[in-house]
Formats: sequence, structure tokens, C-alpha cells
Amino acid sequence: MMAAFSRWYDRLRGAGAFAVTTPPMDGALQPNQAIEAADLLHAAAAPDNLVRSAVGLLFSSGNAILRLDSGDELVHRFDADISALAASPDGALAIGLESGRVLIQGGAHDGLSIDKLDGRPLVCPTALAFDDASTLIVCLGSSSNAPARWKRNLMQQGATGSLWRVPLGGKPACLADGLAYPNGILLAPDGRLVVSESWRSRLVTIEAGGRTTMLLSDLPGYPSRLAPRAGGGAWLAVFAPRGQLIEFVLGERDYCDEMMRDIEEEFWIAPSLTAPHSFLEPLQGGALKQLGMLKPWAPTRSFGLVLALDAQFRPVASWHSRADGTRHGITSCIEDKDGLLITSKGGDAVLRLGPEMLP
Amino acid sequence: MRETLTRLRYRLVPDHVLGEILAKNWIDNAIPFVILLLTLAVLGALIPGLLTLGGLSGLAPQFGEWLLVVLAMTIVMLGGGIDLSVGSVFALSNFVTLALVNMLGWPIPLVMLIALACGAAVGLVNGVLVGYLRLRAFLTTLVTLIIVRSVVDMLILAYAVKVARPVTRSAIWDFISFRHVLGMPVSLVVALTVAIAGHVFLTRLRPGWQILAVGGSRRSAYNAGLPVRRTVAMTYVVSGTLAAAAGIFYASRLNAAGSDTGVGMEVLALTAAVVGGNSLGGGRGSVFKALLGTIIVLIVSNSLIRLSLPTGGSSLVLGLVLLAAVAIDVKWLKNRGKVLSRVYVSPTYMKLGRSPETGEHSSSPYAVNDRLRDVELIGLGEIDGPEDPILDAEGNLYSGTRQGDIIRFLAPDYRRKEVFVHTGGHPLGMAFDREGNLVTCVAGMGVYRIGPDRKAVKLSDQTNRSWFSVIDDSRMRLADDLDIAPDGRIFFSEATIRFDMSEWMVDALESRGNGRIISFDPRSGSTRTVISKLRFPNGICMARDGQSFFFAETWGCSISRYWFDGPKRGTHEVVIPDLPGYPDNINRASDGGYWLALVGMRTPAFDMALRKPGFRKRMVERVAPDSWLFPNMNYGCVVKFDETGRITDCLWDRRGTNHPMITSMREDRGWLYLGGVSNNRIGRYRIPGADPEWTASASYRGDKP
Repeated sequence: MMAAFSRWYDRLRGAGAFAVTTPPMDGALQPNQAIEAADLLHAAAAPDNLVRSAVGLLFSSGNAILRLDSGDELVHRFDADISALAASPDGALAIGLESGRVLIQGGAHDGLSIDKLDGRPLVCPTALAFDDASTLIVCLGSSSNAPARWKRNLMQQGATGSLWRVPLGGKPACLADGLAYPNGILLAPDGRLVVSESWRSRLVTIEAGGRTTMLLSDLPGYPSRLAPRAGGGAWLAVFAPRGQLIEFVLGERDYCDEMMRDIEEEFWIAPSLTAPHSFLEPLQGGALKQLGMLKPWAPTRSFGLVLALDAQFRPVASWHSRADGTRHGITSCIEDKDGLLITSKGGDAVLRLGPEMLP
Repeated sequence: MRETLTRLRYRLVPDHVLGEILAKNWIDNAIPFVILLLTLAVLGALIPGLLTLGGLSGLAPQFGEWLLVVLAMTIVMLGGGIDLSVGSVFALSNFVTLALVNMLGWPIPLVMLIALACGAAVGLVNGVLVGYLRLRAFLTTLVTLIIVRSVVDMLILAYAVKVARPVTRSAIWDFISFRHVLGMPVSLVVALTVAIAGHVFLTRLRPGWQILAVGGSRRSAYNAGLPVRRTVAMTYVVSGTLAAAAGIFYASRLNAAGSDTGVGMEVLALTAAVVGGNSLGGGRGSVFKALLGTIIVLIVSNSLIRLSLPTGGSSLVLGLVLLAAVAIDVKWLKNRGKVLSRVYVSPTYMKLGRSPETGEHSSSPYAVNDRLRDVELIGLGEIDGPEDPILDAEGNLYSGTRQGDIIRFLAPDYRRKEVFVHTGGHPLGMAFDREGNLVTCVAGMGVYRIGPDRKAVKLSDQTNRSWFSVIDDSRMRLADDLDIAPDGRIFFSEATIRFDMSEWMVDALESRGNGRIISFDPRSGSTRTVISKLRFPNGICMARDGQSFFFAETWGCSISRYWFDGPKRGTHEVVIPDLPGYPDNINRASDGGYWLALVGMRTPAFDMALRKPGFRKRMVERVAPDSWLFPNMNYGCVVKFDETGRITDCLWDRRGTNHPMITSMREDRGWLYLGGVSNNRIGRYRIPGADPEWTASASYRGDKP
């Protein structure tokens, strides 16, 4: 009774759970223009899923897997867009497809196709990882929306994501359920399983019994893929910023539902992977061009952000593309000897942050 | 169904009035007034006969004296100080008056002058110490309170008996003591006269304004060149004199010099001043507030006596009242602005028609292209906010700037520029009249005419005040665009009466009819509102029939036509109902059509928000202003329409690189000149196939289409 009342009061005043404050970009998150200034390695449509495999560095672009080292050599092409990718030490590739399937290519289980986990349809594969050559960890972002419909999932305040351990050819086990769009996996050296939960802007560790513990919370954006960092810790790609207006709209269910019903997805008041490109997109007052220029600190629905996390998963450094830039929607990253490679899915570019730009 | 209810709800309830009332200065009186009503209600119920004529008139003589003392306290508080010595001065004046009249038998007028002088002298001491030597007002006047009180006590000890024995009778003395004028005791008449004079002094005269300025912010007043020290000192002198005047009336009424005369009066006066709503911090307050406070405290304290509380009980109650008043004062001052900023923006329901197609390969007349990509740029980075550039007969280019200048770029290459005139406000819409004078709407100032000799003359800055507007809408807040009829009448738009130039976009969130079109007639010099309740009326352009003009309603996304002459005189009708963007200025084109600038584009998300006023209201309350949802003003285009409202041409800057927000365009000799109110350049576009001889003035003369 009391709880219901205080919820009602919070709703009335816009306080508590209904507050629209977003975490500040300060400390290790202080903005710079490093991603805008980064070297362009390769221009490709919507690159994603950087993975190191036996044949070299791979990334996905639409329904194709390309090899990065040799320009744009086509490795595989599928009948649906690729939403997740993982490579096993023995040369196998696991591919998550938009159409709701996970395929295995190469290795001992070549040709295996999974479209159900424990009887539940596999709708939204967002991230994959090999625990060992015959065990796959699968992140399902949602039980109803395909990966391309992530915006809808966010605006529905979806929390139907789950995490699975799938012995290839064996019986899958659900590690955790009720996650708000798990979107990246990291198998830490100490055996912990770290998952990024996009809509709750946090990283959690999932233990064997399904218990989750918070590792890093209150990120100023929606976290995506994780990659191991040399010397301990992790790289974290944050694919879109949180914003006061979006948080506010999420609480306005009436508006939100009508928006999802009547307006095309790219014109929603919702985070975006790409910088604004149409006059039909919503505009926030601070993003008005003054004297012919857009200020980098303007409120924005898209940005580029990569975080370096230390062994305790605390942010230590960050690389940005801000409101006035175009290399937005960073979805994956991987470290090599010459620095950090990142994919800007919204900016159609694979980029390299050179060693001089890293801490 | 639900939407119908919403529409009705927002049509019937005028939400915006709340913010407008809160923005008024007199709202500070609201709390004391409510307290007064509560006091009367509660005490009137407790004490029978309190509110009868007899009950109230018994308080009248005391009321006059108290009012003078409260006024004394108020004027010092307005100047940012406090005067605790009013009670002692009151007692001193009482004793001096009685001593001179009863003991020495001096003539009454002289006695009064001396008593007033005594009060003024104590005030002067306070004033010098606080004003010039910069001592703390509280401590200084506390010390004078004690010293003057001791002096009076010593004198009373020595002369109490002699002083109280009347030796002479004087007609003047009797008049002051016992007579009534207009049913009121003389003291009250004098006090009310002083109050009226004080009101005029504080609100209409320079020294009064200086006191408020010094009290409001000492440093700013000093920086503005006001004599801060003298002003502060003066408030204490006035205060001493007023307290002494009260003492004289007290002497005439009671003819007694007891040692308890005026004891605790400073607390009463302070309570009254603060309860009335005069701010302890200084700078905010009025005579009327002092009057309200005096009435409240007088009624409360007398009622407490009538209720016969135990000893100290009434002091306790008065102390609590003071505490409450101070708390309210502090909270009110601190939160009024916050509350105002939360409630001022009050969105209303609005439903726009379907937005026309703009797709690149669609057959729509608005189909996107990139024809404005390669415009020539004039004055890039040298001007700020060319809202509506215009060209004169020699082809020189004029443009207003945010700094308040009108800049002239010289023909033929527009590389050299000069400040043509400084207006002081942002000049927006412009037009040349037949004599070659430049007439311009200056934001925040009104309509001005600038001759070739660069002399600016104000034509109009006031119109008739509408009856039911809470905001004083007689002043022009945001004159926007204008055009001149063949008979010389100037028709101009005032975009909104609720927001200033710096926050004009916020008006989009309200989308209420806040604007109007006004006409100025130079023959009679009169100004009057022609059409009111328009949704951000903006561009105005005379039609070629000489009897009507086109005007744009920016938030209404429509173009209408108004007839000021001819058979359809006084009527207006919509010509283009649903534009894909927000129309701004309209100007004539060489082919007989009209150019129209779209300052921004409609977005589905904002159109939907327009149908949900509650959504916008909550957004304004909870989200930081920088993050508010606005129409998309980072893109714009120019369209051309003909007399019937058919769109005949469309020019886009697709990426918004050079012209993200186009507020105006002007055709001249085959070129189109583009302006933007938040841009830093003027664009110049060669119109293919346009008449190279055509100028707007030729068109207005009738020589060209």
C-alpha cells in the first residue's frame, strides 16, 4: 500500500524510479574526439562482430563475413544478416543469424544449426562465445524481438533476455533469465562469466547457480560487446548514449506505445546507431545548429564510445565520437598488437585506435 | 474519444494564466492577503464583536501610530537594513513632546518640529554609522535602541510628574488629540497620507527607486553609479522621523510618559513588515505590504489581549507569527522563480493535418533536392543572425544582427561591409517604403524607420491592450515581420506575447495562439491589433491586388490571406493549410509568385507530441531545457507558391550545411538572397531564368509583376 502510494507520488513528481537523470560523462569518461580522429581501416556497410579466428581477423557486414587483414575478402555469406559471431580455438565459427538461428561452421560440429534452446525458439542471438571447443555460450537479447528490432525491445522496456550454456550436440542449460537485453559476453581469466546488460546500462557476472552480481553500473550509454584486454580487464563498446528525453519517453507509456504503433522506427525518440541524417528525425533544443555548426556537447541520440576497464572492471579511459561526429554506434572491438580495432556500425567504418592513443 | 476530451480540456482551461499571474509583481501580496483573511476568519469566530464597526474603530488611533512605525521599519528594510531603534525613538519623541508642551509650554508647531528633529537626529546617527561607516545595521541600531531608551528612562525618572501635568490648552493640540476627520482620527489620516506619499515616492520617484535598487543588490547599485552610502543613510533618517511622528500622536492621545512606552515596538513593527511580505533581504516590498502587515498584527495583538492570555502569551504568539513570516519570506523568495519556470510553459492541444510527402523521387512538389548546395556566401563568420536580408535600389544588401546593428554590404561584390545603424535590439523583418526609408521590426523594441541619413525613428511600440489578457500585451515583445500597404499602412506580426526573442522556440512547445498581427497607420500615428490569437504569425507579404496580404503562421504550418480593403475587408482565409515544415518569411518572386522560407521541418515525433499537451508539460517540468523536443530546425527549404496557394518550386539544402535554418529569402535582379536567424552567413543563389531586371521595389511600384 505504502509502496504503491510512493510509486504514484514519484510518478507524479518525476522522482525516484521516474527520474530522468543520466550519469555524467566525467572522470575516465571525459569526452574526446579520438574515434573521429582514428584511422579508417576499411569502409563497409554496418560492420560488426570483430572476431579473431584461425584464419585471421573477421568481421560481419550485413549477411557476409569478411576478413579484415586482406581487404574485404569474403569468407562466408548467409541468407540472413549476421547478428553475432564467435570463433573457437579449433577453427570453428559460430554464427548468430537475424532469422533466429545459430550455425556452426568448421570444426567437429560443422553444419550444426540450432534454432531452439530447451524447446524455446531462439529469436534474438546477440552474442556468442566458445567456452571450449564444444561448448557455446549464447546470449539471447529478447524472447520476442529479433536483433534488428532492438529499438522496439528497448521502448517496450523488454527484460526477457537469457543466457545459455549449449554443449554442442547436448542439452542446453539456461544460466540466467529475465535479463534486459544481454548484449556481450566475456569469459574472464578467473573463470567468471561477464555479461553486458544493455537496457540496464550495466555489466554483471553470472555464476553457475544463476546468481548475478553487479560489476559496473550507471553507464551513460547502452553497453554492447566486450573484449579481453591485454594485461587484464576488458574493452567495452557502448553503442548508444542514454539521454534525458529518451528516459522520459520510456516512462511515458501512452506516448511510447503510440509512437511504436504509428511512426517509422528511424524517426522515433529512441537511441540510434547512426548520426542524424533526415529532417524527419526528432531534434532536441540543444542540438540546434548555431552559426552554422552543431556543438559537440549537444544532446544526442547517437555517439561512439569505447571504454577500457581495469581488472576490477572500473573504467580507466575512454574514446569518443561526439554529437557533431559521424562514427557512431560502436558495437564491437578487439585488441591486436597495433592497437585497438573497432567497428562503427552506424558510421559504416572499421577503425584503428593506434597504440599512441591507448593508455 | 480520449483525444476529444483532451482537446476540450485544453480549450476550456486556460493553463497559461497561472504562470502569467505568478510572473506579476503584485503576486507577492497574495500570501499576506490570504493570511489577513485567515486571521479575520479565525479571530472573528473566536471573539464576538471583533469584526463589528465598533470593534474595529476602537483600534483606529492605535492603527495610525503603528502604521507610521511600520512604514519607518519598512523603508529601512527596503534599503537592505533593519532599524531596531524605532521603539526608543518613539518613546523619546513622546517624552520630548510632553516635556515641551506641558513643562515649558512652547507653541505646538515648534514642539512638533523639535520632536521630529530629535527622531531625525537619532536616525542620522544610525545612518552615518550604518551607511557611511559600514557598521552592521542590526548591532548598530540595537545599541541606539539601548542608549536612547536609557536616556528616556533617566529623563522620566527626573521629570515624570512635571511632564504629565498639562498646563496649557491649545486648539491645535485638542484637534490632534480628539478630533476625527472623515470619521478617522487625525493620526490615521496623517499616517495614510504618509503611506500614499511613500507609495508614490517608492514607485515613481528616483530616490525611491534608488532605495529599492540599493536594497536589492548593493554591489550592482554601486556599479550602476548610485550613491549607495547616502541612500542607506537617508533611509534611517526617514525612519527616525516617521517613528518620532508616531510618538507625537501617542503623546497627544495618552498624555503620559511611562517607562514602558514603545517597549517591544520594534518587534511589532518588524513582524508587521515581514508578515506583510516585505523581504528581510531588502529590495522587495511596498507600502501596501506594510499596510497589510500592520492590519494583521494590530488585529492579532489586540485579539490576544481580548482573549486575556496569561502573561507573556501574546508575545509568544507574536514571536511565532514573526518566525512563520520569516520562513515564508525565505521560501517564497527562493522558490518563486523555480515554481514560475516550472509552470510558465503551458502547452495546449493541437492537431496538424497530414504532413505532405517530401521523398526525393516522389511526385510531391516538396521533393527533396540539393539545389542550394552551391550557394555563394556573403559575410561568412562576420554576421550573427541575418533574419531577413534586404536590398536597396543600388543593390546594397542590408541585414540585422543579433548585436543590434543593421549591417550594409556594399554592391556589387558584397565584400565590404559597414554598420548602417545601431538599433539596440535584433532587427528582424525589413521593408523599404516608397521614399526609400528602411522600416524594420526590432525584437523587443517595436517598429522603427531608418532614413537614408541613418536616423532611426520609432514608429510604434504599443498597441491597444486586450481586455482579458493577464500579461500586459500593449507593449510589443517580439515584432517579427512587416510589409507596407499601398496606402502607407504598415502591417506587422508580433510572433508571441509570452516569450522573448531568446526563447522564441519555446513557444513551439505551447503551440497556442500567442501571436497577433498589428497595423500601424502613419497618417494618424495610431496602432491597433488586427488579428489576434495566431500561432506564431511570422512572414507578411502584400498580395498584388493591393487589398490583402499573405501571412504565415509558423506553428500552425499554414499560410493565410487577410483582406484589409475591398469587398472582403476584415476577413482572412487559409491559402495553404498543411506545409511539411514551419513557414517563416514570405516575399515576392519575379514570376508573379511568392517565395516562402521554411525555417524547420515537421517531424512525426513532434507532431504526435502536439496532440499530447500533458506529455509536453511533463517534459518541460522534468527534462533539462537543452534536451527538450523541438521541431527539426536544422534543415530548411525555400518554396514558391502562386496566388492560389499552389506550390510551384522548391529549393533545398539537403544536408543543412550552409543553411540549416532558413528564415528568409529575397529575390533581386535574378538572385535569391537567403538569411537565417541563427546563422552566420547570407547565401546568394542564381535563379535560373529569372528576370535580371526585377526588383521588389519595381514590383511594389507596379512596374514589374
